[in-house]
Amino acid sequence: MTSTEMRERTPAAPARRRRRRPSGRRLAPYVFVLPFVALFLAFSVYPLIYTFRLSFTAWSGSGPARWVGWDNYTYLLGSDAFWSSLGNSAVLWLLIVPVQVVVALIAAVLLNNAKLRMRGFYRTVALVPFVTPLVAMAQIWIVVFDSDYGAVNRLLGAVGLPEIDWLTSTVWAKPTLALLFLWKTTGFAIVILLSGLQSIPASVYEAAELDGASRTRQLVSITVLLVRRVVLFLVVMQTLAVFQMFAEPYVVTAGGPYGSTTTAGLYLYEHLGRSDLGTGSANSFLLVALVMLVSLLFVRLLRERD
Amino acid sequence: MKRTQIRRRAVAAAAGLTAVVLAACGPEVSSDAESGAGDTGPADGTLAAPDTDAPAGEITIWDRSGDLYEVFDGVIERFTERYPDIVVHHEAVDIDTKLPNTLIAGADVPDGVFLDDAKVAGLSDHFYDLSAVLEPYLDDIAAQKVDVNTVGGRIYGVPWDLNPGLLYYRADILEEVGIDPASIETYDDLFAAAEQIKAARPDAAPIHLEKEPFLSQLWLEMFASQLGTSLADENGELRLDSPEYRQILGWLDEVNKAGLGTRAEYLGPADLAALESGQQVFVPWAIWWDFAPQQLLPQTTGLWRAMPLPAWTEGGARSGAMGGSSFVIPRDAENPELAWLFYEFLVFDPEGFQAVYGPNAIYPDGLNTSVPSYAPAADPATPLFGPLDALGGQDLWPVAIEAGEQIPGGTPIPQWWAGAVDYLGDNLQRMFDGELTPEQVIAESTEQIQTNLVDRAS
Repeated sequence: MTSTEMRERTPAAPARRRRRRPSGRRLAPYVFVLPFVALFLAFSVYPLIYTFRLSFTAWSGSGPARWVGWDNYTYLLGSDAFWSSLGNSAVLWLLIVPVQVVVALIAAVLLNNAKLRMRGFYRTVALVPFVTPLVAMAQIWIVVFDSDYGAVNRLLGAVGLPEIDWLTSTVWAKPTLALLFLWKTTGFAIVILLSGLQSIPASVYEAAELDGASRTRQLVSITVLLVRRVVLFLVVMQTLAVFQMFAEPYVVTAGGPYGSTTTAGLYLYEHLGRSDLGTGSANSFLLVALVMLVSLLFVRLLRERD
Repeated sequence: MKRTQIRRRAVAAAAGLTAVVLAACGPEVSSDAESGAGDTGPADGTLAAPDTDAPAGEITIWDRSGDLYEVFDGVIERFTERYPDIVVHHEAVDIDTKLPNTLIAGADVPDGVFLDDAKVAGLSDHFYDLSAVLEPYLDDIAAQKVDVNTVGGRIYGVPWDLNPGLLYYRADILEEVGIDPASIETYDDLFAAAEQIKAARPDAAPIHLEKEPFLSQLWLEMFASQLGTSLADENGELRLDSPEYRQILGWLDEVNKAGLGTRAEYLGPADLAALESGQQVFVPWAIWWDFAPQQLLPQTTGLWRAMPLPAWTEGGARSGAMGGSSFVIPRDAENPELAWLFYEFLVFDPEGFQAVYGPNAIYPDGLNTSVPSYAPAADPATPLFGPLDALGGQDLWPVAIEAGEQIPGGTPIPQWWAGAVDYLGDNLQRMFDGELTPEQVIAESTEQIQTNLVDRAS
């Protein structure tokens, strides 16, 4: 039967019935999605458009804004401080994300082992830093890594090693900050990877064991392979977090010494703190574009692997 | 046209329309070069005193949490006795964090705010011009305080405390080494005294050199204030490249290179240890440093004394201003006239300023970390606070008042002052690290501030 025949044989009545459906039923789907759409418009679309418009103005938050065209963007793209903030975030990303993925994956594999006693306790312990208020942890970091009175330098001194200016030297401030971020968020990474590991059927490992695969072989050929999408999700999430990192440098180093820990997120805040809302808006859009590009790159990489 | 196509186009049109409507909800945009940079005018933004004999209403006043909040609480009690129909809601707030956002949002804006002088100009677009209400008092207010509250010829803050720079020193060590404090009249004398102490006590690095960038820039500005200059003139023109800054930076560099300075963050653990041990002997700082021997230096409390700063040239001014705060009234305040009445009472009325500086529940001997900027309150012969045990019983009042009288005017604070810390504050520290010469500090900071702050603000 051809499609033409189908159309000819299809009675017209049902179509008319569809048109006659009560309007309430036709509207129902729209009503159901309306709360989300309203909230999305109010808290996502509106701020986005507002900020985009603001990025072409000079405005301190009071009185009329002054239209400056692309000036805020050209200023930022020619600014050493802007590129330096991106560079700082990139270095922090290198110090944090690869290390975190490896450490969290190993920890997740260990915590996923059914033979491990007190698994629940260890899982809880791993998550404690993540649920501890960041500012409290940052204050502890300041004390522990104080170059004169901190516990870390005391320990170094006790074993005859030289003291290090952990938070006040341009060389060490970033690694110290990265360590804080790792300490704070690796528990979250472990939870994410654990959920990925638990979705791998046990039968896959049983089959591998029957085939004589070693533990290492299983880890590389099964575990890593099957959780790679979860790993990618984690990498994208942590990339966003690192490029938006604000509270850690704000509390621990205030972006110093000499701007060496001024992250992209903190640099953005500095514009807003000076009521330079136009430049801040342009900065946020450049940051969004960059993070989107990086995220797309990761997604593309994964697709190619698939 | 198919129905689905029509529907898609309708949805796209609705989305586009929504975007246009939403975009129109932003701030009014003008191509006028002058807009957005303070559009106050006599009819819009200039505050007048209330014209009623029985003012009534409610005001919300923001102050920082801490001792000063408690002190101002005491003033409010007296104010409400004077104005029984005005209800004051006094709130302790993290002003630096909360105020900018509140002013931009325009919601729940307080009627009056306690604000650092260094931040008044940067937010002045949001405040009432107080020139008219301050007019009767202007001649009696320290010129430096009027300058720091003035932007474009309009005054945006009620000047409150004056913070003269003083030279704090360890009296016991000077006596031990045989130095008469009165002989330290210039910075060259101070350098020589430091060398003398270093010779007698090799572990000493007698002069405090500030390590924190923000405070070090504020500290540098105290020295500059002594010479009647500041980062920018009244027109906002940068004036860092000047003989005055060259002289100050050169001296600081020499102190550092000669090993005569202790680099430490203001009252941080390393600073306190160096102060207690006698490694630091001289602290050129604002009057509010007296907080340290009163509360943070138990081993050496009573051994410290204060004197006016040395002069940069013989016969020059013996003090400069460092820090200070004023009171601002936001334009979105509900009862700005009543807020003005409160601040007029607090700053200019004897009952008000005596309640703040005189003996009170928080400071039984009076508030001694600053002095009033209003001349009738700052009479050398009529001290509002008493002698300090932490300074060996020294009567700080006349020392500070006389130092305050020497602070030159003509030192406005530009709108971008706080932003300059990323450049000048950091470069000053680089000089102490040995990375930059004083000339390089001036050249690099001038270029950076001009490009990133001055040009962007215009």
